Amino acid sequence: MKRIAFVPAAVAVVAAIFFLGPLVATFDFSLRMVRGDLTLEAYRSVLSSEVFLGALAFSSAASLAAIVLGALLVVPTAYWVRLKLPRLRSLVEFVSLMPLIIPPVVLVFGFIRVYGSSSVLPLTTSEVGINLLLVIGYVTLSLPYMFRAVDNGLGVIDIVSLTEAAESLGASKLRTIATVIFPNVRSAIVSGAFLTFSISLGEFVITSLLNRPGFGPYMVRVGQDQAYQPAALAIMAFAFTWVCMALMEFFATQRPGTLKVPIRFPKFMRRNVT
Amino acid sequence: MAEFIERRKETACRASSPMAWKPDWNWLGVVPYLLFAFLFLVLPVLYLVQGALQTPDGRYSLETLMSLSEPQIAGSYWLSIRLSFVSATFGAFFGLILACALVLGGLPSWVRRAFMTFSGVASNFAGVPLAFAFIATLGRLGLATLLLRDVFGINIYAAGFSLFSFWGLAIVYLYFQLPLMVLMVTPALEGLRPQWKEAAESLGAKASQYWLHIGLPILAPSVLGCFLLLFANAFGTLATVYALTSANFPVVPIVLFQQIRGNVLYNPNLGYALALGMILIMAVTNSLYFVLRKRAERWKQ
Amino acid sequence: MISSMQSKIAVVLAVSTALASSALAEPSQELIDAAKREGMLTTIALPHNWCNYGAVIQGFKDKYGLKVNELNPNAGSADELEAVKANRGNTGPQAPDVLDVGLSFGPAAKAQNLLQPYKVSTWDSIPDDAKDPEGYWYGDYYGVLGFAVNKDIFPEAPTSFEALKDSSYGSAVALQGDPRTGNSVMMAVYAAGVAEGGEPGEDAMNKGIRYFKTLQDNGNLVPVNGNAQNLAQGTTPIYFDWDYNLLAMRDELDGNPPVEVIVPSDAVIAGVYVQAISAYAPHPNAAKLWMEYLYSDEGQLKWLDGYCHPIRFNDMNERGIISKTMLDKLPPAQNYAKAVFPSLADQAAAKSAVAANWGTEMGQ
Repeated sequence: MKRIAFVPAAVAVVAAIFFLGPLVATFDFSLRMVRGDLTLEAYRSVLSSEVFLGALAFSSAASLAAIVLGALLVVPTAYWVRLKLPRLRSLVEFVSLMPLIIPPVVLVFGFIRVYGSSSVLPLTTSEVGINLLLVIGYVTLSLPYMFRAVDNGLGVIDIVSLTEAAESLGASKLRTIATVIFPNVRSAIVSGAFLTFSISLGEFVITSLLNRPGFGPYMVRVGQDQAYQPAALAIMAFAFTWVCMALMEFFATQRPGTLKVPIRFPKFMRRNVT
Repeated sequence: MAEFIERRKETACRASSPMAWKPDWNWLGVVPYLLFAFLFLVLPVLYLVQGALQTPDGRYSLETLMSLSEPQIAGSYWLSIRLSFVSATFGAFFGLILACALVLGGLPSWVRRAFMTFSGVASNFAGVPLAFAFIATLGRLGLATLLLRDVFGINIYAAGFSLFSFWGLAIVYLYFQLPLMVLMVTPALEGLRPQWKEAAESLGAKASQYWLHIGLPILAPSVLGCFLLLFANAFGTLATVYALTSANFPVVPIVLFQQIRGNVLYNPNLGYALALGMILIMAVTNSLYFVLRKRAERWKQ
Repeated sequence: MISSMQSKIAVVLAVSTALASSALAEPSQELIDAAKREGMLTTIALPHNWCNYGAVIQGFKDKYGLKVNELNPNAGSADELEAVKANRGNTGPQAPDVLDVGLSFGPAAKAQNLLQPYKVSTWDSIPDDAKDPEGYWYGDYYGVLGFAVNKDIFPEAPTSFEALKDSSYGSAVALQGDPRTGNSVMMAVYAAGVAEGGEPGEDAMNKGIRYFKTLQDNGNLVPVNGNAQNLAQGTTPIYFDWDYNLLAMRDELDGNPPVEVIVPSDAVIAGVYVQAISAYAPHPNAAKLWMEYLYSDEGQLKWLDGYCHPIRFNDMNERGIISKTMLDKLPPAQNYAKAVFPSLADQAAAKSAVAANWGTEMGQ
């Protein structure tokens, strides 16, 4: 076995301390709700709070809706562009990247103004409308990742041949998408879905400015009102992000066929959205 | 909206004359997607841009944009730019070093895998929980603060450090900037083919010469591109700052957030101008990034 | 006008204010039905740990089965008025129905036509000097301004504004936000000015601003909002708020860390909040029912449970419906003996002074 060089090892150790330090400190603090004792009281207190469960339920529902809407928007489009409109591909891809240029705080400001009470389409004046706007906000936040995941997924299968084969067997366009294309990119969609979920669940800016009772604003409020529960929430949020990322990676590498190419998510473009 | 109606008319025309040149219906497939993008990305931005070019009474003028140069607003931009620059510089520098150690340092493969997975999580672990984590670490009674004080005899707060200051925030930002850099720059480092190094060595080059004349010039566009994205990433950060300092640290997103919330300092047109300024900065950094990425791609296959 | 309340409040068993019987009145069935048809009440700026509002909202929901849509709980009084203005004509969930604002914001909102009048059935038992004769706004509860101290960090708690200037409180003292938007923060600055010997009104406010400028310059002021988390973790080991909120926070932390709530010896400033219904309330009947609930004995006792002195305190105390345990739990009466209730005119002058001078003095 090769001797490990000193400098790289030292760099890795320092980095590990920097990365793990805050987690250890937070975990430590989260256990100290009862003076002189290490307990899980802070976690119990959070988990038994109705406000917590309400906020979590609301944000989970909104995030799931965003996943469904995002997939409905992206899958047919990406498929169609690859199949019939390759020359529009760069336009569609550019559009999918636009949310990276528009910060969420700007986007939601535009939403409030364009769809406010004096608008032709006054979405903010009804509860259904404003929830819809929230879901749409989440869809735009995750659009770059969802599009990239699905588009990459389509890239690995030969959709032209698959479509021709299906149609030669008499399948309609819709049936082809539903029964042939969709199962083949399912893991790509699921992979994008987990990323969407981890982005939207704790989203703060849009949720807060639309005054929705979501998980992000809840966390901020707990941070103001309580001392030990925020640390417990932070640990749970970290664990949750970890699970989402692990599932995303897992599904991203579950590819039909023989190609085992991991998707390169545009992580290089990932912005701080929560 | 006008654009959309135009398109609808076009469709109608084509539909009414099927005998004309073979109609191409295919583009209809992307209409829902483009319509969504128009309604929820383009239109809101256009609205804000238009508002930024108007005065509160509806006249077109550059007056509102000029208000960006008021000392308070300009100060916010300057603060945001400095903070983004510092966190992106340190993020890019340390991220590059860490990535080099992982890719080229001959560490066991599990170490590398662990760091990569962790980076994926940490780059997404921003916002409110991150703020909580750092309060527990480097706050006045944070674990690291107490450790430094009791074990090493360094009282960072007595020395003037505060988590809620410029440098405190820069350290917090580093927590997501650094892993992001590792993720982004690793492919470029992997792209450095060992043959190049072997070739250089066989020609008698020292390691330092190889890096100076071959390695760094090849990496430069990638590293610079990553730096720009880190900058944009930091510039748009809101939730972390909000949870950490409430509204007391006036970076641009916080100022805009307060404007939208409609507190007593409210002036909608100023809000538009702030938003336009943010979009411009984001657009410039992202465009530069794309240019650099094109250059970086020259070296791939 | 409000300062005359002082005597009544200082002594718990004070003069009777009104007929006790009216307190038992229940809202009419028509009002309940009309509110139920609206189905929802939109509130703003009601943190659950503020004056026990969490339990108050829950009690209202349980009793009448209405949905309560809570907008930005951290908004300040000025933010609340802005929210009403911004949502004129908006009947959606963004528009607040009811407001709970600092005393001086009541008349200000009335002057801007942001309110609609309503007199609850217990109207007569609200002291006259704490309500608008036409019913546009009405006092709801009060307390005195104090600060909380994390005893782990400062085992010997400072007891005055003056003491907080000491260099041993470096990076330790915090406000809760911006005094230009929040009433409690504004009153904290005002109280500091009174401690500094300021004349009531503009002078006290300007002296208060100078006081915080001094703390900023000598490094004692932390530019972070004071709250439970920041107190426990030592970021803001000392911060200002109403005594009732600080006492509730102390209970929440439950001795970890130990917290002492101090009413400063050099200035005891009392603050009254008022309820009002927005002129543009999308659910006017739900809003009226909410007011009926708040001013019923049940609602008032819930506030009392959160260490607030509800405005009908004397009336209820005379009728003997406040239990001994509840009375014992209240902050000591001597805190209130010296309390000064700034007059509306003084508060208005202070408000314009803080709007004009805070930003320039503090460099914000």
